[in-house]
Amino acid sequence: MKRRFISSVQIILQLALTTAGLTGQSYPGKPKIIRCRSLEKETFSCWWKPGSDGGLPTNYTLFYSKDSEEKVYECPDYQASGPNSCYFDKNHTNPWTTYIITVMATNEIGSNSSDPQYVDVTSIVQPDAPVNLSLETKTSASITYLWAKWSPPPLAAVSSNSHVYHYELRLKAEEKEEWETISVGVQTEYKVTGLRAGVKYVVQVRCMLDLGEWSEWSSERNIQIPNGESPPEKPTIIKCRSPEKETFTCWWKPGSDGGHPINHTLLYSKEGEEKVYECPDYKTGGPNSCYFDKKHTSFWTIYNITVRATNEMGSNVSDPHYVDVTYIVQPDPPVNITLELKKSVNRKPYLVLTWSPPPLADVRSGWLTLEYELRLKPEEGEEWETIFVGQQTQCKMFSLNPGKRYIVQIHCKPDHHGSWSEWSPEMYIQIPTDFRVKDMVVWIIVGVLSSLICLIMSWTMILKGYRMMAFILPPVPGPKIKGIDKHLLETGKSEELLSALGCHGFPPTSDCEELLIEYLEVQDSEDQQLMPSHDTPSKNTKMIPKETDSDSGRGSCDSPSLLFEKCRESHALPSALQTQDVRTVQENKGAKQSWETQCIASEQKTLLFNNESTKSSPWPAVQLPPNNQLPMFAYHSSVEAHKIILSSTNVNISPVLVGNEEKHQSRYPVTETVHDNMEKQREMENFKTEQTVQVKQNRHNDKSPFLNPKLMDYVEVHKVRQDEEPTVLLKHKDNNGKTKKHTVPGTSKEYTKVSTVVDHNILVLMPDSRIQHTPVSQEPAMETSQNLQQGQAEKNMSYCVTAPSDCKRETSGSEYMDPSSFMPSFK
Amino acid sequence: CHTSGMLTPNGKENAQKIPREELTHLILKLLQAWKEPLSHFNQHIEHHQELPDDSLSKAKQISNMVHELKTGVEKVTEKMQSMGIISNSLNGMASSEGTGFSISNEANMMSDSDFIHCFRRDSNKVQSYLKILKCRIMPENSC
Repeated sequence: MKRRFISSVQIILQLALTTAGLTGQSYPGKPKIIRCRSLEKETFSCWWKPGSDGGLPTNYTLFYSKDSEEKVYECPDYQASGPNSCYFDKNHTNPWTTYIITVMATNEIGSNSSDPQYVDVTSIVQPDAPVNLSLETKTSASITYLWAKWSPPPLAAVSSNSHVYHYELRLKAEEKEEWETISVGVQTEYKVTGLRAGVKYVVQVRCMLDLGEWSEWSSERNIQIPNGESPPEKPTIIKCRSPEKETFTCWWKPGSDGGHPINHTLLYSKEGEEKVYECPDYKTGGPNSCYFDKKHTSFWTIYNITVRATNEMGSNVSDPHYVDVTYIVQPDPPVNITLELKKSVNRKPYLVLTWSPPPLADVRSGWLTLEYELRLKPEEGEEWETIFVGQQTQCKMFSLNPGKRYIVQIHCKPDHHGSWSEWSPEMYIQIPTDFRVKDMVVWIIVGVLSSLICLIMSWTMILKGYRMMAFILPPVPGPKIKGIDKHLLETGKSEELLSALGCHGFPPTSDCEELLIEYLEVQDSEDQQLMPSHDTPSKNTKMIPKETDSDSGRGSCDSPSLLFEKCRESHALPSALQTQDVRTVQENKGAKQSWETQCIASEQKTLLFNNESTKSSPWPAVQLPPNNQLPMFAYHSSVEAHKIILSSTNVNISPVLVGNEEKHQSRYPVTETVHDNMEKQREMENFKTEQTVQVKQNRHNDKSPFLNPKLMDYVEVHKVRQDEEPTVLLKHKDNNGKTKKHTVPGTSKEYTKVSTVVDHNILVLMPDSRIQHTPVSQEPAMETSQNLQQGQAEKNMSYCVTAPSDCKRETSGSEYMDPSSFMPSFK
Repeated sequence: CHTSGMLTPNGKENAQKIPREELTHLILKLLQAWKEPLSHFNQHIEHHQELPDDSLSKAKQISNMVHELKTGVEKVTEKMQSMGIISNSLNGMASSEGTGFSISNEANMMSDSDFIHCFRRDSNKVQSYLKILKCRIMPENSC
């Protein structure tokens, strides 16, 4: 009945709602029971969710009924569990009954009720999550644990303590996703192991009653496992050493510490004993070492040594190290290394190196015997040379280079088992250079001498190079006049010169100047020291020195020397001729020949030229030949030359000076005539005025065709100038043009004085009043000249008075003034 | 080692402290103790085919040297005794060692490596004692 009532009410309400829906207001929506839960199985609560409220305030009521009962109850408590909830307290809760619960929403228009919810209390039991979760890390026995503690969920109204909760714990590393769930049981604390150090963990717990569901997980708790908290690593024993075979020291290397300071202990036991001792001295050997002094050192027994490292987390022991002190001896390096330089017998230095054993080693008692070894190298060298020395404490080193620096080191070792010591500090040796004074002096002397020699040679080269060249390439000798010393000419000792020439009365007077011929050509076969210069307008005066031909004038028919000899011979008879002395002198000297020319009074004057077959030089020169050759002379200073000539002519009137060649005597009829006519000589003697001109003739020698007798033949008188000075011009005649000559001598004057030379080939003669020429004498002169000419015809010589360029070889046809022809006139 | 039972000074001071006669005696005792085991050892390794010939000859050489050394030390001892450097008190003890037999037996039981190890040690002992003795008796020669 009640049901019907309810359903009818519902229908009415629905109708009301539908009608109200048309007007915007309706009865409320159907609420829904969300859940019902019991915390401890003695009470429970239900929560519902309201539906739409229909726009009007809605009231909710919860009705329930127990199973198999008809009675409907209303919720006893709407407040305890919050809004939209209903709390059934203990009195209203029967754990083993099924409740049928509905919620009705009511508003002004209508009401609506939810579906009924069948609730069995036991099945809805779910406790609250545990509370007060606390986490703690503990380390014991080098293991870190996590202690988790919590409290059961609070129960407000429950007083009994019979509830037994089962708990569950879950944890995970912070960055991980997977939870690790641990069933704890009924305790409210738990110890978690296996946690990694340095990791942050998240922990939660939940609980459950006997039947029912697990509670929710509690809130998270974080915990950081502490980092590095671990026991230390295992240390290692590095080495044990004894420096003197009486004590020893062991060193170890610690492992990594577990974040805490480590303490090390060294424990050892001896062979055959069980007792373990601890290191007697940790300090002496330095950090991480153990020093065994004499008392604790036993030989010929094996020590078993271990090192233990301990820290807060734990400890660790190294591997055992077995050591017999006898075999671990490593001495210190030797000390007191001294060097001494000694000189051996032959003055070679050697080095004596001495040292002492290290101070700790007891070598004196024989307990420890050391062997030494040294090494050395040059300072800049790469490799060491190692020398084993043995047990002696000194070493002699012989093979060191002087002047170099060496580095020396020594080390030692026990003679039996053991190891080498460290090398002693480097020691530098400077080998002194073996400076021998003797060697240096020798070198200095050698150097000085060689430099001197070089200097001398260079100087000789410089100074005498000329001469050397001359030595190597001998110069061609120039003409030379026998009997004339050029030095006399140079020095101006006219007396000697003239005496040599056979002249007297030098220097000439002033009016003889005019008679001076300017050019004299003298043959010089050899050197030609005299270089007459001309101050006339004529050209070259220089004799070329190099043209001498050594061959010239030697014994040739045409050589002036022969001519001269001929003359000499001719004059041998007339002893009155004083000039012969001169001639002899000349003869001795040799090669001078000159024809005397006399002033030709008549027109028939001709100058005889005897040419000597010498190399022609264009100069009429009186040369003082030092040898027998016929030099060509040339005067530089015409004045002197003229003077000399004149003086010579003055002295030597005789045509003896005219040299003749023996072979060609026929050609020199002059000489013959000379020979024949002593008178002429006399005339010549009397001829004081130095009117005659000695002209030397360059004869072209048959033998020497290469000679270039450049002789001008003054064969004819060209004309006679009547203007200022009556002069006779002698012209150079090519051939036998002597006719003209004859015209000239028509005058009564004798032109014997040469004033000038014109045009290179014209000898200008000047009359000399003093000279008287007899035509008679002229005739023979003519004859002689003709003869001469004839003789000369064969000759191809020309006598060049002027420049050599103008010289031509002239065949005969030269008419010469034969001084011999004049001689008679001079008497 | 079979000679471990011998009381030998195990340090320099100890070796210098004991009288010369005793030191000499010790040396001789040691040398004597090795005579037998060495020969046995030689016989033993002759049958080892895998050892190179050098080892065999070396072992023989060593035992000869030990024998010679013992002879030499005996001679020196006699000389010293005659010269009065050391006394004659321990004269007769060198040869009549009752423990020699047991020592030899013990030596035979050793392995080869142990044998060599023991021999090395004892030879070093002998060498050191001899040197100390020498420098005590004649200190002028390189001591």
